[in-house]
Amino acid sequence: MKFLCVPCDSQMRLRATEESEPGSLAVVYECPECGYEMAMLTNQHETDMVRSLGVRIGPAAAAAIANPGQAASAMSAASGETSAGRCPFSAMLGGTTQPEAAAKPEGPEWTPGALERLEGIPEMVRPMARAGIEMVARENGHQVIDEAVLAAARSRFGM
Amino acid sequence: MKSYSQIQGDGGSGVAEQIADLEAAIARRMAGIRHVVAVGSGKGGVGKSTLTRQLGAVLAAAGKRVGILDADLNGPSQALLGGVQGVPPLPGEEGLLLPVSRDGVKILSVGSLLAEGEALSWPSASPRHTHVWRATRELAKLAELLAAVHWGPLDVLLVDLPPGPERTVQFADFLGPQAAVLLVSIPSALARGVVARSVSALAPLPNHLLGHVENMSGYACAGCGTVRPLFPESKEAAELALPCLGRIPFDPQLAALSDDGRAITEVPDAGPVAAALAEAGRTLFERLEEVP
Repeated sequence: MKFLCVPCDSQMRLRATEESEPGSLAVVYECPECGYEMAMLTNQHETDMVRSLGVRIGPAAAAAIANPGQAASAMSAASGETSAGRCPFSAMLGGTTQPEAAAKPEGPEWTPGALERLEGIPEMVRPMARAGIEMVARENGHQVIDEAVLAAARSRFGM
Repeated sequence: MKSYSQIQGDGGSGVAEQIADLEAAIARRMAGIRHVVAVGSGKGGVGKSTLTRQLGAVLAAAGKRVGILDADLNGPSQALLGGVQGVPPLPGEEGLLLPVSRDGVKILSVGSLLAEGEALSWPSASPRHTHVWRATRELAKLAELLAAVHWGPLDVLLVDLPPGPERTVQFADFLGPQAAVLLVSIPSALARGVVARSVSALAPLPNHLLGHVENMSGYACAGCGTVRPLFPESKEAAELALPCLGRIPFDPQLAALSDDGRAITEVPDAGPVAAALAEAGRTLFERLEEVP
């Protein structure tokens, strides 16, 4: 979908996205010529339509998708969630932080590199992967999960 | 006033770009797979998932590198059939690494992610309308997984489809024209009729229809070793206008093995079912090699 400023005959640019209310997304466009701003407010069905495509609205998401390892993360929660899944709307909103990255995990600590590796896999896989890795860490008496523990977990599960 | 095609780019939403990039990522991930086979049935309850798993086993036993993609996100069974329930996919150097069955088959199944009896949820912004977008969201989720999985080089990826002619067509389209289709039938008029409907529904697609495997093709008696009819002969049964790649008798031993997450190839002297599966696997691979 593209938006055109009719008086200027100029394409409007996406300026911001936000959840205007539960189930509705506000996508704000502005005209680069005259500065006129408008907001597209989705109803619940339109919100579901966007969500069904498994995309996020905004350039930040597109940049993340360019990296296959990041793609799944950026596409996450668009559809199908395990009981450990997060708010499905958050994946649609540009600039939304990943709760798993922000929250301090219980149990063994994760090094930034290991955590980055975990966050590079699809969100629906993460809870089970995290649990399996932490189980292996505990089995081997590791307090910190790093690349070596990830490798040990892969070995433990025959990968 | 400018028209849609006169405007370059999308103004920053990035939607089309994300979809294109996702498709490119999937193509890169699957580039090392020699043959993709979508295994559909048209009708549920014909033993498609068990057959898929055991075809994977006989192909692996023949030295092929095999993967199984359980495309039935809502009714996953390949994790259990492969004995990898509770074994999570893990992040690896080059992507998501998959659980591997004892006989060496890589398995991607939502059943590895869920506890027994737990189901995926598909929350919707519009109450009572999850049905509208559900299929699209399932495919988006499957695409997300495929964009992340590191399959490595495979000779065959078997894709266990959800039942139903429309789902068979939908997933064949999703997997792209390089995916060949194998249908599973049983010797009953009802099942053959539904499979025949799948054949018609697939006709407009470019996907190569390999043929069908007739499952439950008689009953393998463990006592006397003979195979006896399981279904009554029906003259009304629709003749399927496609080659039969194998006929697999029903054997309670196979059902027990499957529930236990074991492959038929793990059992010595498994009888006529093992022989029939091995022959079907050989024929399947020969057909795949013949596909242009």
